[in-house]
Amino acid sequence: MSARSKTAGRNWWRHLILILAVVFALVPIVFVVSAALNPQGTLSSTGLIPTDGVSLSNVGDLFANTPFAHWYLNSIIVSGSAAFISIFISAIAAYAFSRFRFAGRRVGLMSLLLIQMFPQFLAIVALFLMFSEVTELWPAFGFNTLSGLTLVYLGGALGVNTWLMKGFFDTVPKELDESAVMDGASHTQVFFRIILPLVAPILAVTGLLAFIGTINEYLIANVFLTQPENKTLAIGLFGLINETNRNANFGIFAVGTLLTAIPTVAVFQLLQRYIVGGLTVGAVKG
Amino acid sequence: MDAVQTASRQRSPGYAGTSLTGLVVRITLLGVVAALAVWAVLPLIGARSWIGVGVVAAATALLFWIYLTPNKRLPLKYLVPGTLLLIAFQIVPVLFTLSTSVTNFGDGHRGSKDEAIVSIQTASITQVPGSPEYDLAIATGGDDTLVFILSDPATGRYWAGDADGLKDLVPADVQKGLSGKITEARGYTILTAAEAAERSQEITDLAVPVDGGGIRANGLSKAFKGTSSRAYDQACDCVRDSVTGEVWTADPETGYFTDAAGQSLPQGWQVAVGLDNYTRVVTDEKIRGPFLSVLWWNFAFAILSVLVTFGLGLLCAIALHKERLRAKFLYRTLIVLPYAMPAFAMLLIWRDMFNQDFGLINTMFGLDVGWFSNPWTARFAVILVQLWLGFPYMFLVATGALQAIPSETLEAAKIDGATGWQAFRRITLPLLLVSLTPLLISSFAFNFNNFNAIQLTTGGGPFAAGNSSVGATDLLITYTYRLAFGGQGAQYGFAAAVSVFIFLIVATVSVIGFRRTRAQEEIYR
Amino acid sequence: MRVKIAGVAVAAALALAVSGCGSSDDKADDGAKGSEPGLVIWADDKRAPVLESFRSQFESELGVTIKIEAVSKDLQANFVTASQGDNAPDVVIGAHDWIGNLVQNGAIDPVQLTDAQKTGFNADALKAVTYNGQVYGAPYAVENLALIRNTELAPEAPSSIEDMVADAEKLKKDGKTEELLSLQVGDNGDAYHAYPLYASAGGYLFGQKDNGDYDPSDLGVGKPGSIAAFEKISELGKKGVLKTSIGSENSIPLFTEGKTAYLVSGPWALTDIKKAGTKYDITPIPGFEGMGKATPFLGVQSFFVASKGKHKTVAQEFVANYVTGEPLATALYNADPRPPALTASFDKVKTTDPDLAKFAEAGAGAPALPAIPEMSAIWDPFGKAESAIVGGADVKDTVEGAATTIGDAIKK
Repeated sequence: MSARSKTAGRNWWRHLILILAVVFALVPIVFVVSAALNPQGTLSSTGLIPTDGVSLSNVGDLFANTPFAHWYLNSIIVSGSAAFISIFISAIAAYAFSRFRFAGRRVGLMSLLLIQMFPQFLAIVALFLMFSEVTELWPAFGFNTLSGLTLVYLGGALGVNTWLMKGFFDTVPKELDESAVMDGASHTQVFFRIILPLVAPILAVTGLLAFIGTINEYLIANVFLTQPENKTLAIGLFGLINETNRNANFGIFAVGTLLTAIPTVAVFQLLQRYIVGGLTVGAVKG
Repeated sequence: MDAVQTASRQRSPGYAGTSLTGLVVRITLLGVVAALAVWAVLPLIGARSWIGVGVVAAATALLFWIYLTPNKRLPLKYLVPGTLLLIAFQIVPVLFTLSTSVTNFGDGHRGSKDEAIVSIQTASITQVPGSPEYDLAIATGGDDTLVFILSDPATGRYWAGDADGLKDLVPADVQKGLSGKITEARGYTILTAAEAAERSQEITDLAVPVDGGGIRANGLSKAFKGTSSRAYDQACDCVRDSVTGEVWTADPETGYFTDAAGQSLPQGWQVAVGLDNYTRVVTDEKIRGPFLSVLWWNFAFAILSVLVTFGLGLLCAIALHKERLRAKFLYRTLIVLPYAMPAFAMLLIWRDMFNQDFGLINTMFGLDVGWFSNPWTARFAVILVQLWLGFPYMFLVATGALQAIPSETLEAAKIDGATGWQAFRRITLPLLLVSLTPLLISSFAFNFNNFNAIQLTTGGGPFAAGNSSVGATDLLITYTYRLAFGGQGAQYGFAAAVSVFIFLIVATVSVIGFRRTRAQEEIYR
Repeated sequence: MRVKIAGVAVAAALALAVSGCGSSDDKADDGAKGSEPGLVIWADDKRAPVLESFRSQFESELGVTIKIEAVSKDLQANFVTASQGDNAPDVVIGAHDWIGNLVQNGAIDPVQLTDAQKTGFNADALKAVTYNGQVYGAPYAVENLALIRNTELAPEAPSSIEDMVADAEKLKKDGKTEELLSLQVGDNGDAYHAYPLYASAGGYLFGQKDNGDYDPSDLGVGKPGSIAAFEKISELGKKGVLKTSIGSENSIPLFTEGKTAYLVSGPWALTDIKKAGTKYDITPIPGFEGMGKATPFLGVQSFFVASKGKHKTVAQEFVANYVTGEPLATALYNADPRPPALTASFDKVKTTDPDLAKFAEAGAGAPALPAIPEMSAIWDPFGKAESAIVGGADVKDTVEGAATTIGDAIKK
């Protein structure tokens, strides 16, 4: 008891910071929750705390009036596969950038960053024209396919995430791979057996980032997916609050927004143990 | 430096040979690649796109060359998958966009000159006044040529028309259904709607020549006698109106057909304009004038966005970086929540929360601040929104990076008598920055062009009275967007030219930042 | 070396296997092409479901399959880009003021309507979809702004803005309402909603040519009339009648929640108002005392035939000979109650829906929203000038600044 209160006493500043941060993080979200439960379903009638009673009618409306379940599934398929594949691609690239020295390495790294700086709304036209051709030739990856959209998202696999991982890979002592090589490991074995387990936290973090990035993307998805049951969550939700519907649909939009956050939170929970895990510490000790 | 390292590393006794599993996996994957290549090539051959075939073949050959030689070209083995995707879906679109910056590509100038001519001619087709409206059935003749079976309900006469002209039909040879539609015509096969739909282009192109015009289909069941008053004349490279006698001459400089008075037809085409778009950015007072004032705020916005989000994110990460902290799991989940919410939706909600009379923020704190009507409060507001949206990301990243710092290092420092703060300053922070600086730079670059953050909240405002082209929270990107898309439709060519300038600015700053990380990388490795 | 040989062998085998499947796939594709949709229609998220409910009816009457797709965002821009690629739809549903831009991009074709079909439409609607002498769309709904008032709070329709403000101030003083008027302005202004006031006080946007087309070389913003008009708007701003804090997101709810007695909005507001059970009446927007009528803009929702569609004849058949029929127009009204552009359909539904006639009366004599591409140069600067002036900025400088910006954008 006394030990415990002592720890709590020493940690008071941690709790203070965290509570303030949580309050800040939650205020807008509480507002959205309140809107979701508001039976009137309008933006203006919503306060921070529900005042007109609480009802789940917006949830029913959302599923009755929109192909929400389709959107949900589509988003999970696209974001899940895009995140998974892109993390793999990023990780192997980061391994190369971190462990090998080759001509064009720094230029390559720099280019990865620079490419990301180009305004996306301009490149949309080019993507549109490109995929007009793709739709003609390979309909399996054309417009209105989840595979085509996933492919486009994978175009961004080498990017910020590669940078993040590369920085992390750099902190794993080089001696580890060298001793493995002495023991007769191939470069793939070094990567899969030594490096990957050590960098699990960063894989988890970037995986989550990639998942969130794609699940919230709507500029490209809007161009790609035009059939109602083909849409992803972000673009479906965007359609709910276009100019004239903004206020009236706010309740169901809020429900949709909250439900959209669920897979992300679930992925986070799933990955949490890697993010927090003591794997690195243990391994470095060894 | 790099070159020396490369040489020394490659000479060093390398990795062991491939294991059996490795071999099997590699061959299977390459087989899949080959299979995909064949699958991709077939439609290309069908479409006679030999360039496409060449590209697929080259890419496949490259992959085989790289992966079939053990222990050589190691970096490439790891970089190629991502690079191919990067080239296809990022670099090619960017290059395409850049190529439009030397053209007038935009609304009114999207297609080729031929397309513009077709469009002008089609737009000038009018029904000949007083001519009958025909009932139409689409049919084919003996050799599958397209034929219009026409009837004039007023006179009860029937014709068959094709590219050669009209031919009278005996009424007895034509059968009509209950709805009055022609269902049969002796010697011809009437097409169903679906069959006709397949030959849509042919039907559109067919105009049965008759005196004073051509009979054209209007849909599938009606036809009319129309004339196209405007026609392109190759000899004078102009469009002539046969009714009014007006002439519009092609102007290859502007991509318009223009008459003597300088009035143009609306349908233009895409032409090369050289560096005009670039010189416009540099010389146009309207663009150059506000550029500097927008630029400094753009920098302030991007830097502040990174600093405040990183600051709060790191603070939270450090606060949580403690074994057996109570409610650790709960804190972590709740702090990540803002990042899980769709950003565009939350930007709109934040905008509503800042409303002067009805917004949650003024109501909650009993304020009456016109957040978006004063430059400084608007700037504060957008940074606050950035903080909310971005700190969970920084929190996650910092948490990940903190895990990587061996706790022994810190414990050792503490034993040496360093306080918590000193240990943080001298050991934790520098180590964190090694792995996070590249990320902070890329975050800076992202925020430098963070279009949504401004467009969906303040829309660039507030605007000084009398100046609606540049607002207090405008970034270069939102400012460009207004310039390029706020006039008569979208001007992609111009927008591309402006983005090249923006790109050069961000790139320069980032490269400078990057050089610093290089120094750090060498120190800590 | 062995690796290479084995690799090539296995890869070749797999490639052959797949190419076998590939070619059979292709046959399947060819077979599928026959059942490819005959007609692709693009609409926004709101109208797509309405059309979807008629799809099977369309299909059986037209004899082709139809696919209705919803573009959630930037329908117009996406349609223009799609027309440039190979992926254009056959029919697009949009507002008539897109016509200028769609024509300059060669994205839509004229619709040939018979004289009988033309006379079937509301004359204003037909005029709105006529551009450079050609009819470019089949109109299906006409909408315009009107004054909607809460009859429990304000039983009498105001004769002028001054009259309305006096009543509204009394209601506010008595604590019955919180706001004088709900007319959306927002932080960056709203030219569409501001126009009736601007027109009443003597402003105009573009002059008209002899044939009734708008003349982009005669810009009304910046002329003395426009400055005088904005002076009147400035007065309303000072009195708190117009407020930048009232925007698209809260203007209708302020009315449905009884916080204001007067709302300036269009037919789209009625769904919410009826749902809230507010007792209301619809009258023309009053003008300033002793000044002109406060005419709103007419907006006409239309079906367009795409130039680059793959099934243009079917699209023409659908738009020219099917959309123009009374049954579809009425059915579209029933699914989404906007005043039909087809007179026969309008007359049929107005017996059961008195609001339609009231909106039509409020829009009597209203000009169509200019469809010329130059119009897009007006929205943003005009709106911002309005917002600044409502917020208390100097009128003359603001309007002249906006006029320069608009003039420059039009010249480019």
